[in-house]
Amino acid sequence: MISSSSRLIGAVEIGTSKTVVLAGEVTRGRSLNIVGVGVAPSRGVMKGEVVDYKAACEAAHHALEMAEHRAGARLEEVWLAQTGGHLDGFYNEAAVNVKSADNTVTAMDIATVCELAKEKELPPGRSRIHEIRRPFRLDGRAVPDPEHLTGGRLEVGYWIVHGQENKVSDNIHVIGGYHLEVRELVLASLASGSLLTTAEERTHGALVLDIGKGITDYVLYRDGSVVAAGTLPVGGDHVTNDLAIGLRITTAQAEALKLRHGRATPQTRDKSDKVWLNGEMTFGDRQIPRVAIEAIASARIAELLEVVKRKLAPKFAAEHCGAGVVLTGGTSKLPGIEEAAARVFGLPSRRGEAPGWVKEELQDPSYSTVLGVFQFGLRNSHDQVLPVRRKGGLLSSLGRIFA
Amino acid sequence: MSATTSDSMPRGRSWRSIRQEVAAPALSRKGRKRRHLGWLKAAGVIVFVAAGAWGGHELARSWADRPALASAANKSRLAAPVLITDGVITTDWLGRQLALPPSATLMSLDLVELRERVLAHGQVKVAVLARDFPDTLVVTLQERTPVARVRVQDGGGLRQLLVARDGTVYEGVNYSRELLGSLPWLDGLALRRQGDGYAPVAGMEAVAALLATGQTEATWLYRDWQVVSLARLAAHDEIVVRMAGGPEVVFTRRQDFYKQVARLDFILEEARQRVGAAPVRVNLALGQHAAVAFDRPARELAAAEAPSTSFRLQPSEKRASRDLFQ
Repeated sequence: MISSSSRLIGAVEIGTSKTVVLAGEVTRGRSLNIVGVGVAPSRGVMKGEVVDYKAACEAAHHALEMAEHRAGARLEEVWLAQTGGHLDGFYNEAAVNVKSADNTVTAMDIATVCELAKEKELPPGRSRIHEIRRPFRLDGRAVPDPEHLTGGRLEVGYWIVHGQENKVSDNIHVIGGYHLEVRELVLASLASGSLLTTAEERTHGALVLDIGKGITDYVLYRDGSVVAAGTLPVGGDHVTNDLAIGLRITTAQAEALKLRHGRATPQTRDKSDKVWLNGEMTFGDRQIPRVAIEAIASARIAELLEVVKRKLAPKFAAEHCGAGVVLTGGTSKLPGIEEAAARVFGLPSRRGEAPGWVKEELQDPSYSTVLGVFQFGLRNSHDQVLPVRRKGGLLSSLGRIFA
Repeated sequence: MSATTSDSMPRGRSWRSIRQEVAAPALSRKGRKRRHLGWLKAAGVIVFVAAGAWGGHELARSWADRPALASAANKSRLAAPVLITDGVITTDWLGRQLALPPSATLMSLDLVELRERVLAHGQVKVAVLARDFPDTLVVTLQERTPVARVRVQDGGGLRQLLVARDGTVYEGVNYSRELLGSLPWLDGLALRRQGDGYAPVAGMEAVAALLATGQTEATWLYRDWQVVSLARLAAHDEIVVRMAGGPEVVFTRRQDFYKQVARLDFILEEARQRVGAAPVRVNLALGQHAAVAFDRPARELAAAEAPSTSFRLQPSEKRASRDLFQ
């Protein structure tokens, strides 16, 4: 039973391999209680983008229905994790001179500089997903809130994440097809990063990589703020494809081989150490050198990490990333991936672990993004950065019923 | 970390400007079902709100009429009470029982006391008294139904009283002579005084169940049930029924009455057709067996054709139309 002061919100991730839905009871915009889980293998989704509407709907709606069934109530709105290779970001800065005679920063100065920093035009067909503000700088010194402080020049920068409008709308329409409204769109990398890092780690600098089946989401923090966030269209599928081509086996066999014997760093030295392809020792089965599997998988993982590093190149510096690399997503389960990341980025690496408040059954990396969607949304709503909605009231209750 | 979402973004450039509603064909089956449920819920809310508004309106109206009604209820002379009952009690009896003074007004009535007066008669099981403004008392009654009668010798001489299913003993009012004549007499019980009447008869639930079974399933047998004896009920769980011109039948409350009545019918039928003798006593309280005593010696019966040794539950040939075994 959902109480009247709370809302049942669905956090949804339409991934390449599966669609995950968490139903969370959010009370007074502060506390969260996960009351339902729905997971369905994705179909019609490639590299985080919907390519077959009906198939994608079928899988997503099945997961939504499952979560509603387990929660025992109807979802009222959805917070959707957005990912896909079409996402991109840029940094834009603006500065204003403080207008008051006594050089005290007013709310108007802050609003003006923020508007200027966000004003940059986007290419046609692109939609803004997030505008992530960096700390203000007042006469060169970083300040979290400059209002009532004294200074001459106020600067601020925004990391603006944008995506292709038709691809974003495809994702939204998959939810719309279930007669639900998307109230918040959260970049998947921000969601994962929000969950898997602490405020202290973000202050020291941290890189979070969510390596999925088809894509890799990344977010780089420094001084407690997002320096860069985005998505690359490379993921665990590339390892599978390389194994299939390199070993001349089917994709399904390669996927099974990757899960059973794949490693992100080579470990086996004995070339005579072989594993069965299907593991059944039946007709058609054959033995494959373990060295070959590890060599192919580790080469591809190293390449994937290099791609991320190159993408981050201007902003990434190991000395500004004290908390190291945090890995999550399905592909992060590959043994030895921490060593591979440590070698590529020159930083300590670890697999991300969900915080203690997360139930044991949701500790798997595949739930990181949806849990992060809740955490990110709630944190921002608590900080009153997200728009505050009027709660309660007969009219709003009626509105929810008609929705 | 700080972030803003796009409510503050330039219009038309945010993801929020994307139209979220999908056309009906793009809704999945589950989505359509969800939408219909939403409509249903909305309709329910509209009906609820409308009903609430109507209720509020009625309440307000009644509230507005309240002073006028109250003054009228205090001044108007009481009209004849209105009786609603599921039995045979009449308004005359009710008037006598209530004994309302002629000058009474509706508001001067003590409904609790009046209710006690009505309930003092055993025939009334439930009584609800309500004021219908400005001048009418409405009495709704639920009456007991008699299942047997009993003769009592007391200060008033030899009287016939009725016994209801719950054991209540009372003097019946307004019952037809036919109904009273069709009720069997109770025997073998000691009535105890309780207040002005008698204490309820113990074990009447079982007797009533037996009589109801006979009345509904074997009318042709029931109409001959003259006396029902409770003498062996408490000690042996047995109810003895004496039939007019027929045998004395012993039933047990440990077994299903329906089956016992069916076996009695079979025994009487077999005795009439095959043995040609009249049973004087049938004991059905022996489990799977039944003991039958005939009006002739056993030697004479032995010469006659032996009846079937096993009982089969089947309709007798004589009354093919009865529904006893359906």
